[in-house]
Amino acid sequence: MTYWSRRLLGALTVLFFVLTLNFALFRLMPGDPVASLIDPRFSPESKEALRKAYGLDRPQAEQFLLYLKRTVTFDFGLSFISGRPVWQELRNRLPHTVALTGSALALSGLIGTFLGVTAARRRGGLLERATLTAGALSFSFPSFFLQLLLLLLLAVFWPLFPLRGSVSVPAPQGAALIADYLHHLALPVISLVLLSFGSWALYVRNLMVKILGSEPLFLARAKGLPESILLWRHAFRTALPPLLTLVLLSLPGLLSGAVITETVFSLHGVGRFLLESIQGQDYPAAGGAFYLLALVTVASNLLADAAYGMADPRIRFERERRR
Amino acid sequence: MNLLRRWSPWALLLLALAGLIGPRLTGDAEEIVAPPFARPLWLDRSAPPNRHLLLSTKDLEASLDWQWGPPAGFALTGTYRLPEGASARLSWTGPEGSLVLAELTGAGGRFALDGRDIAFRLRLGLSPFQSPLERLFPEPGPYRLRYEGTTPPEELAADLHLSGGRWGLLGTDQRGRDVFRLFLAGIFVSLLIGLAATLLAALLGTTAGLLGGYLGGAVDGALMRLADLLLALPLLPILMVLAGLWGRGLWQLILILGLFSWMGTARTVRALTLSLREAPFVENLRALGAPTWYILGRHLLPEALPVLLATVTLGVPGAILAEAGLAFLGLSDPRLLSWGRMLHEAHSFGAFTAGAWWILLPPGLGIVTVCLAFLDLGRFLEEKADPRLREETP
Amino acid sequence: MIAVEGLRLDYRTGIRRVRALDGVDLVLRRAATTAIVGESGSGKSSLVTALLRLLPPGASLSGKITVEGRNIMSLSEKELSASYRWTTVSLVLQGAMNAFTPVLTLGRQIAEVLEVHRRLSRTEAMGKAAALLEETGLPRSWTARYPHELSGGQKQRAAIAMALACDPLYLLADEPTTALDVITQAEIVTLLKGLTRWRGLGLVLVTHDLALASAVADRLVVLQAGRVVDEGPTERLLDAPGHGHTTSLLEALKTLEASDHD
Repeated sequence: MTYWSRRLLGALTVLFFVLTLNFALFRLMPGDPVASLIDPRFSPESKEALRKAYGLDRPQAEQFLLYLKRTVTFDFGLSFISGRPVWQELRNRLPHTVALTGSALALSGLIGTFLGVTAARRRGGLLERATLTAGALSFSFPSFFLQLLLLLLLAVFWPLFPLRGSVSVPAPQGAALIADYLHHLALPVISLVLLSFGSWALYVRNLMVKILGSEPLFLARAKGLPESILLWRHAFRTALPPLLTLVLLSLPGLLSGAVITETVFSLHGVGRFLLESIQGQDYPAAGGAFYLLALVTVASNLLADAAYGMADPRIRFERERRR
Repeated sequence: MNLLRRWSPWALLLLALAGLIGPRLTGDAEEIVAPPFARPLWLDRSAPPNRHLLLSTKDLEASLDWQWGPPAGFALTGTYRLPEGASARLSWTGPEGSLVLAELTGAGGRFALDGRDIAFRLRLGLSPFQSPLERLFPEPGPYRLRYEGTTPPEELAADLHLSGGRWGLLGTDQRGRDVFRLFLAGIFVSLLIGLAATLLAALLGTTAGLLGGYLGGAVDGALMRLADLLLALPLLPILMVLAGLWGRGLWQLILILGLFSWMGTARTVRALTLSLREAPFVENLRALGAPTWYILGRHLLPEALPVLLATVTLGVPGAILAEAGLAFLGLSDPRLLSWGRMLHEAHSFGAFTAGAWWILLPPGLGIVTVCLAFLDLGRFLEEKADPRLREETP
Repeated sequence: MIAVEGLRLDYRTGIRRVRALDGVDLVLRRAATTAIVGESGSGKSSLVTALLRLLPPGASLSGKITVEGRNIMSLSEKELSASYRWTTVSLVLQGAMNAFTPVLTLGRQIAEVLEVHRRLSRTEAMGKAAALLEETGLPRSWTARYPHELSGGQKQRAAIAMALACDPLYLLADEPTTALDVITQAEIVTLLKGLTRWRGLGLVLVTHDLALASAVADRLVVLQAGRVVDEGPTERLLDAPGHGHTTSLLEALKTLEASDHD
């Protein structure tokens, strides 16, 4: 099997697992499974109609197939709370979650990489020690604690940033809306960057130290190449594929972090929607949000895989030869 | 021993002791001891302290010198008995004049006044929404609580409780509970859930790792695929859904956390088992006809134990953080006092608008300290298990 | 001419100090092949590193290195890179050990030295890289290949092509044939010898293999524990070793050959 079909198959397996888990979790609850799918406040007649529509009167296996078909087409049913289709609610919130996690990942990746490379180049320096400490701290700092502290400092005591929400109420118009949105997004992103740049930098530093001491770099130095070419073209390019693996590995954690971040800062995103759905026992909404978060993870894993393939000729080569 | 020279075991021991003994010494954490968001005693000298003014049959007057702004609470309770036909009142005299707090009528009875009572506010000539404290304490100066009557009382016991804005070592939370007591109570939950969930995960992971590594083949493939699957998914949403569906009690949380964090241990143990499986002594045992369970339990497990111990210790922070995260999201039992719960309540019930940082810092720093301590301890054990590691960490 | 006088090299690891080179005196000429022979740990790889002044942190080097009348010890790191490394003295490492950067094409890795040292444009440099590959017996189109796509021997040819890119005066070859099969070894040796003659290079062959050294080199230098213990024209040294260590190396060689004939 080629690299690519293997990856694709892996992604599909994860998805199938998620779907099965989702199906089982919400149906194996104590009590009437209907209660987890249909709003208990509906009239008996409409309950019966929905029961038919969801196929709850059929055998489990058939129900599962029906469920698969509906989920793949993003038909998660109606939210108990809002009464609107869950997918409509989610589609509305997804861009906010992607904006939050995407910009946090990009920024912490850039800052962490820069610091890590610099620390690896100047070993034993102050920056290296700071990087090591930041890395160690980031493993034991609860995200919400740091975020609460930031809120208290930068939104209450010294109100530079808004305390809550994705936009001001009432929302401004036009270009001011974008500025307002970014202003609201800034502190959450800063907090996520603060939480993750340390472990990034630590990882990059360790990787670069290893590569800088390797045979190819010795030869590159013997070639009389300038420091910048050594560092970025030779060492960093070599480090890139494993770094992309790190992106891949950090994605699940990042999405978990998004749930908490959106809660702390009251952002309009999928994570907080999931929490509110769970708290409000809005099972169709919770199931949909959970599936969507898993789907985003799997999709970004696949993207990171593709980027890895681009960055590492050993895999790119395999792909070309099989073609 | 080297272990005793590190800070982490002592810190953990100290915390564990504080968690076990502390709550017994300081009293019930749920008790409401002071007004909401009272500052810590040491923090703010400008906030008034808690004061009591007592009247008795012998002492019909009590006074105090009030040097602060109005207190946070004003509550007067007591009993009295008067001679036949007498009438009396309790008066409150300050620099700007005198107010009647309570008329004492009839032969005797009890009285209970509180600044929050609407009737009391109306009697003072205020609207139901105005706080009476500004009226009772218009400015700093001498104040006097006095029994005024036609005759002295046959019996009188009155207690005026002025709750200040300061309380205890760490102030109070949004319900007026002592933050220090809550902090002490939280130690137990955090440590218990962290350790129990990690032990459960270690048990599952070791079993999976030993089985997969030793048996190989389809069992190994299935177990490792499952581990990969779980590692590729965002953990917190899964935990949230499970906590939401299965319940939020202590044991449910431990079970949920344990079920979803065995993967790392399984991988480590599997790798070790694989390398040991080919070791001569294991091959000899196999040749001698030793049953699989015997080889696994008697020889592979003890070999894997030091590494396992390190992995478990390093896994505790993850479990503690996950528990704290769930509790912070409000997905834990409200009766379960934990550090994550404290942060949840601080976030949800107005600690921010009150600027009450003393509610945030103790549980947060507690989590950080415990996690750092377990990481430190884990690294120590890791180095013990594999001395080569010492060379690599600068 | 490369003249080395009283070269000392110390490594400091923690509190321990290891002397890798202990007063080496040496003369290496152009248009000739000198083999530096020694067992592992004799300091021969350290000598290569020292000649290029590519020392790890914690190493201290003293003594004199003069190349074509230039005092190399007084050059700054910048000057070394700009006008000494690769342009005057270049290097071929063990090919099977992955000495190429795995994520860059061969063409790129050869062309970059031309871009840096000869100020060629990317296209010119790539053209020259293709010509160099051809000179060492590889197809011109292999500039687009990645190191992992090549066999050990092909990689070694590419490494030699890269070493020749800036027309150096001297070529240091550190164990260039180790980990290659016998036929490939012979091919590489023939290639190196031919190029030396063709280009008038000074080839410095560093090896533990006395048989290889005596087949290729005009002069032999025997290194033991960081010192030069024997030195001279190949034939003379083989006939009349000047030091016990050379004799024992020869003995080992003879036993090896004897066992091969069995």
